[in-house]
Amino acid sequence: MTRLNSVLLNPRIGVGADLAAWRKAGGGEGLARALERPEDIIPTLRAADLRGMGGAGFPTWRKWTATADAPGDEKYVVCNGNEDEPGTFKDCYLLHRTPHQVIEGALIAAAAVRAATVVFYINPHQTDGIEAMRRAVAQWAGDSQIAALERLIGQPMRLTVTPSSGRYIGGEESAVVRWLNGSFPFPRRKPPFPFEQGVNDKPTLINNTETLSNISHILKNGADWYRDLGIGGASGTKLFSLSGDVLEPGLYELPMGTSLQELIFTHGGGMLGGRAFKAVFTGGPSNTLLTARDLDVALDFDSVRARQSRLGTGAMIVISEGTSVVRKVAEYVEFFANGSCGQCPPCKCGTFQMSRLLDRIATGRGTEADRRALRHLCQILPGSGRCALIDGAVTVVQSSLQTFPEEYAAPASR
Amino acid sequence: MTTAIAYATAVEALAKASPDGDAELPLRPGQLPRAELLEAYHPDAGAQARVPLRIGPNRGDPCHPALARIVEGNALIGDVDLAALAPTSTDVLVIGGGGAGAAAALAARTAGAKVTIASKLRIGDSNTVMAEGGIQAAVGEDDSLQRHFDDTIKGGHNVADPALVAQLVGDGPDVIRWLIGLGVGFDLAGNATGGGRLMRKRAGGTTAARILSHKDFTGLEIMRVVREAVELDSGITVLNRAPAVELLSDDHGRCAGAVLYDTDHRTFQLVHAAAVVLATGGAGRLHLTGFATSNHYGATADGLALAYRIGARLREVDSFQYHPTGVAHPPHLVGQLISEAARSVGAKLVNGLGERFIDELAPRDVVTAAILRECAEGRGIERDGSVGVFLDTPHLLKDRPELLEKQLVSLKHLADRCKVDPYEEPLMVYPTLHYQNGGVAIDRNCATSVEGLYCAGEVAGGIHGRNRLMGNALLDIFVFGRRAGIAAARQVQAPRDQHRIGLGHVQRWQRERMRAGITDQLLSPVLYPDYGNFELRSHMAAGREG
Repeated sequence: MTRLNSVLLNPRIGVGADLAAWRKAGGGEGLARALERPEDIIPTLRAADLRGMGGAGFPTWRKWTATADAPGDEKYVVCNGNEDEPGTFKDCYLLHRTPHQVIEGALIAAAAVRAATVVFYINPHQTDGIEAMRRAVAQWAGDSQIAALERLIGQPMRLTVTPSSGRYIGGEESAVVRWLNGSFPFPRRKPPFPFEQGVNDKPTLINNTETLSNISHILKNGADWYRDLGIGGASGTKLFSLSGDVLEPGLYELPMGTSLQELIFTHGGGMLGGRAFKAVFTGGPSNTLLTARDLDVALDFDSVRARQSRLGTGAMIVISEGTSVVRKVAEYVEFFANGSCGQCPPCKCGTFQMSRLLDRIATGRGTEADRRALRHLCQILPGSGRCALIDGAVTVVQSSLQTFPEEYAAPASR
Repeated sequence: MTTAIAYATAVEALAKASPDGDAELPLRPGQLPRAELLEAYHPDAGAQARVPLRIGPNRGDPCHPALARIVEGNALIGDVDLAALAPTSTDVLVIGGGGAGAAAALAARTAGAKVTIASKLRIGDSNTVMAEGGIQAAVGEDDSLQRHFDDTIKGGHNVADPALVAQLVGDGPDVIRWLIGLGVGFDLAGNATGGGRLMRKRAGGTTAARILSHKDFTGLEIMRVVREAVELDSGITVLNRAPAVELLSDDHGRCAGAVLYDTDHRTFQLVHAAAVVLATGGAGRLHLTGFATSNHYGATADGLALAYRIGARLREVDSFQYHPTGVAHPPHLVGQLISEAARSVGAKLVNGLGERFIDELAPRDVVTAAILRECAEGRGIERDGSVGVFLDTPHLLKDRPELLEKQLVSLKHLADRCKVDPYEEPLMVYPTLHYQNGGVAIDRNCATSVEGLYCAGEVAGGIHGRNRLMGNALLDIFVFGRRAGIAAARQVQAPRDQHRIGLGHVQRWQRERMRAGITDQLLSPVLYPDYGNFELRSHMAAGREG
């Protein structure tokens, strides 16, 4: 039996910005547990094996521990809701439909790391999400749980909703910090990490919206419950943004470790028009393509990585035999070229050149020299940026070049 | 099996019944009320005439069953077909090379846009050239816009969009001036060389003499003039033999161009445009309900299929006009139109018993239903397996023999091809599928419910309600063709944010088809009649082998 939408997308808790309705649906209990035994929060997350859902899959407890252990009593928690990648549409749902689920998780984070300021950093294009979050945050003013939290931290709590720059690059951790410090969201080299030098140069914990949404449930139901949600060695659930050539695109919450086959054919209604499955661009779309032989892959961070790809944000852009890989890659690389902040010349020029070459190839004007140049760029560009943007762009190009070389061939030779 | 009266017997009956001199054959007494006649005999009536659409913006609305298959059809192409195609860019892409398309192209040019006009056949190959009777416009001193408006609304059985009709009649005089300015020579009353007044004729269903004509090949003359204007304009790129196989949409769902099929080079051609004007005409060559058609070879409802798939609303797509007087004999000319001009100058319709059974100047649908009734009830005339009624030319020409040479030139040509001497022998006629009354819903500026997509001409609906008056189609295509061109050119100036152009709407469409359980794999637009034996993929493949 599959458990669809069992936790974060459970229709019972999709109550919107009404705090009383959230509590009636079982909300607030996780925070209550956390406030009872704040020292147990991080060990519980560790036992639960909660990972960062923004794409990295980094163990959440480590970030929290690092921030909690950082010296100083001015700390920040930032909920990263910048979500801007093509094909990813999970955070917007959580912010709009379950704002208190997000807030409660962020408050528990504040309790764990002793941060008095919580910032909800949201893509300005998500107007519904910002609106719901503003209304939801206002309802926590003067709440008894906030008072208990203030007693724990010893400072007055501040919750703010801040529109992000709306740029793709603005979702990168160090860019988040820059923006919140009043500058253009240029990513920077790490270290220092945000837990060392974040907002106002103070220790800052930055978590993705989906990650924070899981927190209250784990605190409420326990680490074992969370681990048992997953399949095989994986823990919990994952939100999958399914799109492309499937009958029923949409947002699906499934146990972590659900197979790609099940996501597409059981939940996504199968391939559009009954056409053959060709490939999946996974969350980013800045990762290695999954192809037909990967249909059995368990969708969890480790299993997907074992196939030399990444689960990323959980975005699954499915394409069928009727869809051109090169056109898609050209579209995504153009997106990255647009999204490059421009501070690292190899990224600024590299994404531009790749986009130009891909456009020529995708419109039948590419020469052999163009194809060669593209391959060369894939070799020299990786690792040349302060952030991972250029690496992601190269990965998707290289992967498609390797997997679908015939689509890159000159039209006459096909 | 209905019976009919043998041709020879019918000719005798006609001769016997014909009165002498100027006297007219009296109408048979006991006429059926018009509503009853339409309900019982018009092809649009009855349960078989419509099915509800299962998908798309008009889900649940009635549509002709054969047309429904086409508008609900699957796309001819997919995303992969766009790979390795270099797009060309234009401001306004006009699809369709008839009168509406040409007018749209010229108007968009005048408004400053760069224009590409693509035609499935060649520019000018259209129903426009077949419009024989003339063009309506309230230009007479005894006429008014109001009367033209009232006649059109009434003729359309009160379901036409009053705003569209007001625009139609209001722009009428200006369109005539525009056409004369381009070089159209309308017939003049009295002394033709004296720079006299425009000659006006009476059309069926109208209250004033309002038809302007050029002999009885008005459409051909007008199309000749506007086609030359289009071809002489260096700012208009003309693409002949390039049917549109799909529209392009951007990621906001706006129409952003089209995919054409270059039949010469057997490749697809991608045209990006800020606005698209669909002027693809009607659906006669689908031979709905088995009727012959007066339409030209390209009238296969392409525009309806394309517009519906990208999300444009349709209206009255269960309503068609069957012209009462299509040729019924000889068989190879079946369906060819005999202009209303013949009836408007006085030719009568007579059944196999020599009876005149209907007022010939009643609206077309009424006359059609009356002819179908005569044939259904055994009073039709049979010749070599074809059934019809007589168009009594001998009696008309007996006293006015000059009519044939002066005003009914096309009729004379057609009679020659039928090997009939109209002075001696009546023509056999039977209703022919003539016009698509409904179509894509538009506003006064021809905007559809899809941003960036405009429709003009027969592909658009709402102007003629459920029945069109003679001469209003020629007016319609130039009034709305020009308006579409101007509105499309204006779209060019509207800033657009960054967007990607592709076939997103086709993906949505296929999803809808699957959800509705539609398994029919018919691909549309069909591009050519089924006896054209054209299949896109094999046509492309044949090119590669050659």
